[in-house]
Amino acid sequence: MWSWDFTFKILPQLLDTLWITISATIAAFAVAMIGGLILAFARRSTFRLLSWVTYAFIEFIRTTPPLVQLYVIFYVLPRYGLSLSPFTAGVIGLGIHYSTYLSEVYRAGIDSVPRGQWEAATALNFSPLQKWKTIILPQAIRPVVPVMGNYLIVMLKETPMLSAITLVELLGRAQIIGSNTFRYLEPITLVGLFFLVLSYSASRLVIRLEKRMNINHHGKMDAAA
Amino acid sequence: MRRLKRNRVGHLISKGSERVSEMTENNHVAVAEAPQSNQEQTEPIVRYRKVSKSFGDNQVLKEVDFDLYPGERVAVIGPSGSGKTTMARLLMTLEKPTSGTIEVDGRQLWHKEVKGKLVPADEKHLHEVRGDIGMVFQHFHLFPHMNILKNVSVAPIKVLGLSKEEAEERAKTMLDKVGMSDKLEAYPANLSGGQQQRVAIARALVMRPKVMLFDEPTSALDPELVGEVLDVIKEIAAEGEMAMMLITHEMSFARDVADRIVFFDEGRIIEQGRPEQIFTAPKTDRLQEFLKRFELNGSSS
Repeated sequence: MWSWDFTFKILPQLLDTLWITISATIAAFAVAMIGGLILAFARRSTFRLLSWVTYAFIEFIRTTPPLVQLYVIFYVLPRYGLSLSPFTAGVIGLGIHYSTYLSEVYRAGIDSVPRGQWEAATALNFSPLQKWKTIILPQAIRPVVPVMGNYLIVMLKETPMLSAITLVELLGRAQIIGSNTFRYLEPITLVGLFFLVLSYSASRLVIRLEKRMNINHHGKMDAAA
Repeated sequence: MRRLKRNRVGHLISKGSERVSEMTENNHVAVAEAPQSNQEQTEPIVRYRKVSKSFGDNQVLKEVDFDLYPGERVAVIGPSGSGKTTMARLLMTLEKPTSGTIEVDGRQLWHKEVKGKLVPADEKHLHEVRGDIGMVFQHFHLFPHMNILKNVSVAPIKVLGLSKEEAEERAKTMLDKVGMSDKLEAYPANLSGGQQQRVAIARALVMRPKVMLFDEPTSALDPELVGEVLDVIKEIAAEGEMAMMLITHEMSFARDVADRIVFFDEGRIIEQGRPEQIFTAPKTDRLQEFLKRFELNGSSS
């Protein structure tokens, strides 16, 4: 049933799209990280209206399917003069969707920094910006690195959704091969394997990062700062 | 100079305590007012005027007047919940007073003077005035993600704008002073409480404040570690450069180090005076009662 000849024939085609999957994941994750931080700050704002609007936005995005949001960005926005390439639309759509989740992660991290750290920073006369940059965020992000890593992997596995807005990534390419040759076993299996390898390497990376930070944090060795 | 200043403070205090005794005799609530300073040459570095603070329904400070003079070392004693920690936290701008004013070196702290009127201060104004104040906390609050050298040098770099070399040089000098110069690369989690507190003292000193606040600096320490921290504070106090406000339950330490003792209870200054007088001849019933409790606990003279 399994044909090695066919496998090797389609491998280059799939490898071509591998890069698209990886770059879409990384770009969308970057959008989610930055967007999440902005949302977390807006949510904490003492300006009530901003905080409330942010809350409503986060709830709205989280309770509607990402696929619907992608359709809106890719198919509806052009009607109002905003045409985006499939890649850009996908990165923005996925990035914004997950930024709402990451904003909650940031929030948990920020809340976990003890009050005394804020007070010590105030006593040393740090400006609000320096307080965030130097004292609070480095401590807030450390404990939530594993959760963020999980979202990176979840987002990687969500990228096949982008084929719905005509971005040909791994799974999209496999489907095209399948419909052209009526052979699905090899392309779909290969896609599964690719995702396995990508997810696994991403999780190893996160674990390494986490370990490095912990070593540094508890000062058990002289790790590079 | 130092001698002179102490005499002056002593003189002021005796005036203040006469008032207290008069009032007690008349069966009034004994409230010692802060010594009046108008006719003195040296202006107070810190001046509290009618400062009140409430948390919800709980009024923890009640129209407190209090002056601290340059170089003066004041120990603040009193039962827990008496408002003494809040006094320090208001000055460090960690809490905002409900009413009243605080002046630091002639400048309003919580207010800005705009066209002769006092308006609430913004962060920029607080930032300008707060630089004169430093604070050491009960629970140290070192930055856990930075090593010791970084803990002490980060604020001089970021806040004072010193170069890294200059800041580290200063930090090392301070760490040497508190006996922690052999732990520059260590992280706070690997230090004992006493060591952490000594680093915290260096971290506050390195900013060269005019006023240092110590908020129960040894209350969170194991008994065997208290001594090393008190020794460091005594050493700093002996230099006599900064005004110091020491909130403490260590009575013998307060007696040894302070020029003046201020006794707080229920949000007011009940009695104040020189250590000899406060500890050997307390005038108010409440102070007598408070000191008796310490003798029973055996934690003081």
